[in-house]
Amino acid sequence: MAQPQNLRYSKEHEWVKVEGDTATIGITEYAQDSLGDIVYVELPKTGATLAQFGNAGVIESVKAVSDLFSPVGGEVVETNAALENDPALVNREPFEGGWLFKVKLSNPSEAGHLLSPESYDQLLAEDNH
Amino acid sequence: MTMTDSGIKRTALADEHVALGARMVPFGGFEMPVQYAGILKEHDAVRNRAGLFDLSHMGQFILEGEGVPEWADSLTINAIGTMKPMQARYNMFCNEQGGVHDDVIFYRLPDRWLLVVNAGNADKMWALLNAKLPPSGVKLTSLHGKNALIAIQGPKSVEIMKGVLEPDVTDLKYYFCTQGKVFGKPAIIARTGYTGEDGFELFVDGAVAPQIWKRLLEEKKTLGLEPAGLGARDVLRLEAGMPLYGHEITEEITPVQAGQQWALKFSKGEFTGKAALQQQQADDTYRRIVGLVMTGRVPAREGYAVLQNDSIVGEVRSGSLGPSVQNQNIATALVDKDASKPGTVLQVQVRGTKHDATVTPLPFYKRNKQ
Repeated sequence: MAQPQNLRYSKEHEWVKVEGDTATIGITEYAQDSLGDIVYVELPKTGATLAQFGNAGVIESVKAVSDLFSPVGGEVVETNAALENDPALVNREPFEGGWLFKVKLSNPSEAGHLLSPESYDQLLAEDNH
Repeated sequence: MTMTDSGIKRTALADEHVALGARMVPFGGFEMPVQYAGILKEHDAVRNRAGLFDLSHMGQFILEGEGVPEWADSLTINAIGTMKPMQARYNMFCNEQGGVHDDVIFYRLPDRWLLVVNAGNADKMWALLNAKLPPSGVKLTSLHGKNALIAIQGPKSVEIMKGVLEPDVTDLKYYFCTQGKVFGKPAIIARTGYTGEDGFELFVDGAVAPQIWKRLLEEKKTLGLEPAGLGARDVLRLEAGMPLYGHEITEEITPVQAGQQWALKFSKGEFTGKAALQQQQADDTYRRIVGLVMTGRVPAREGYAVLQNDSIVGEVRSGSLGPSVQNQNIATALVDKDASKPGTVLQVQVRGTKHDATVTPLPFYKRNKQ
């Protein structure tokens, strides 16, 4: 499947969109499809400091609890309030309305080391073999 | 039944599930569909229209001989000797301490008995039955993995099965069965299920199961029939307050604790576990299974601690979103007697944070019977 070209990806199936010194984080189409119906999202608190690849909360589907990691380090500046009442938005629009949280990057170069859309596609292709 | 390289078995319908795009997971030794279109969609189909389930992983044993009722009555908690011909009855095999080896259904056929056991307990139950064979002579045959079991569950089940089943089963009573045909193929047709809805369970030879499965989905799609997986089944049974082996009943959690006293027939004579169960019921001090409805949006999950006034009073045994319970998060928990009264507000510890939950009578969901 073709991934949005303007994003970077983690091996844990999160995406990152960098704009200036701020990054928006979400999970990929592949991740939402694998999880199934999402019923609860627990996000980090605004003001919290996250380490790169550190724990950032959980995403719960009907059947399972999955850990959420932050592909980049930084201070949480905003979380997606819409998910409180409509967690399934992550299923419907994983790359858009279903974004999870935004951080002020502590080290802007971190995002550069994440997977390109092509590399992430390749990872998915390997996973499915 | 086919064995894959990994030793995981496949039911006669495994190829159908894969063709339908199901997500397959190992369950009870078999590769089974956990979901097709999605758990919530499949749940909705079963509650409002009908869902089709493959339950061929469950163990099917045939019991033959005049001594079966007396023998089986000595090993189980519910009455078998009083079953009418073609009747089905829920039952449990218990250990001496009253814990549960397995919960099962007996079907009394004209010349034999069909016993359906949980997939994960099938090997254990097969060994147990063989070890306890009576001198009176009982013949046991395992159809596990050879025979298929297809369930259709939902309010439209009767309408959907019109013309498919012979004889007409509109008036077949709940927990009764008949020997008939599905699309002309021999079947035991039972009005049983595990979803809280009306429906049928069809025991057929594995060789004819794929064509029955395909025809039902093709010809009855317009009436709303959809394939449903084990994920939806678990949500449906939890809403309907039905215990699941390994969760509400285990080798340690007894039918008394699980609130299944209705299935206990102390009057029928001696049976394994009777003394312990009678004692436990009389003492009335045991931890028991209760329903919980979470106040907030956080789901309770198996193993989470349940607290009252900061003390641990129990543990969550099953938890899920309850789409038919006003979309609240529901759970079962094994709790102290003092914490078990309906209306009591307890706390469930979720990742270090306490969340309120109210003790609620089971079942959470009851269908409107027509």
